[in-house]
Amino acid sequence: MIPSELAMRALVGHRFPGGTYRIEHWENFLLSEATGVAPLPDGLAHPAHLFHVAINGVGTSIRELFELAGSAPGAPVSIAYYDWQIHSPLREDEPYTLSGGITEFERSEQLGPSFRDTFTYEINLASMSGEPVAQVSFCWNFWRTSEDGAQT
Amino acid sequence: MKIAVGDTIPPFEMESVTPERMKTVAAIFRDPFPVHWDRDATRAMGFEGRLLNQSPINLGYVLNMLMAWAGPTSVRRIRTEFPEPVFDGDTVRAGGRVVALSTDAGQTLAECEAWLERQDGVRSVAARAWVVLPESTD
Repeated sequence: MIPSELAMRALVGHRFPGGTYRIEHWENFLLSEATGVAPLPDGLAHPAHLFHVAINGVGTSIRELFELAGSAPGAPVSIAYYDWQIHSPLREDEPYTLSGGITEFERSEQLGPSFRDTFTYEINLASMSGEPVAQVSFCWNFWRTSEDGAQT
Repeated sequence: MKIAVGDTIPPFEMESVTPERMKTVAAIFRDPFPVHWDRDATRAMGFEGRLLNQSPINLGYVLNMLMAWAGPTSVRRIRTEFPEPVFDGDTVRAGGRVVALSTDAGQTLAECEAWLERQDGVRSVAARAWVVLPESTD
């Protein structure tokens, strides 16, 4: 059952619990290797970490983002955009504090048999002393098929 | 490092996108989306059983290109769209060029158009990046 537009719109303003995250050497090694390079020098962490550090560090998960959107993990999802602002480089073994939530929602017009629900998420990383480290915005499209039946 | 608008950025190539790396990344991300590790799932979605690479890793190839060019702490902002997927077995190449230069607080900032292209010429990533350039040594 497709969640109602009203229920989805009510998620705007939802705040994630917040939390802390420390990038460990093993995950920096493996993630760097997955992008085809050796770890950066001097304990720097690869900026691709911003995706999962933001989501998991703010106290949510990919699974929960799907659940909030009323979507199963195998359901069709596409990415509208990522927008990452990096104020200072990420480092291994440096604790970061995270805060953020859902900032925008839009339901599209019917696109053939489908329509899409678009959510924008914004998550801020800061040092433990409160200095901004990065702002991670990302926007996902959850595709719905009207055959699934929409709640009114 | 003398940079001008219109300069191209040396490319970064990933010769083969492998399922093993996707599985590693799925574990690190705690990503339950099965298209990165279950060929039945991608078959059901019309992708003929080919696994889809994670978008942050596609973005990672572009970041590797930018960092190799301007340094590991150079990227200040990157805005990315992902018009087409990258599949296991693909060869991808990140490319880019400088579209504007500005100065802020004594630093030179290069605004760059960047992309990731599959071996069939399809662009899988379209990005705009802002990169602090190293001080000129000339």
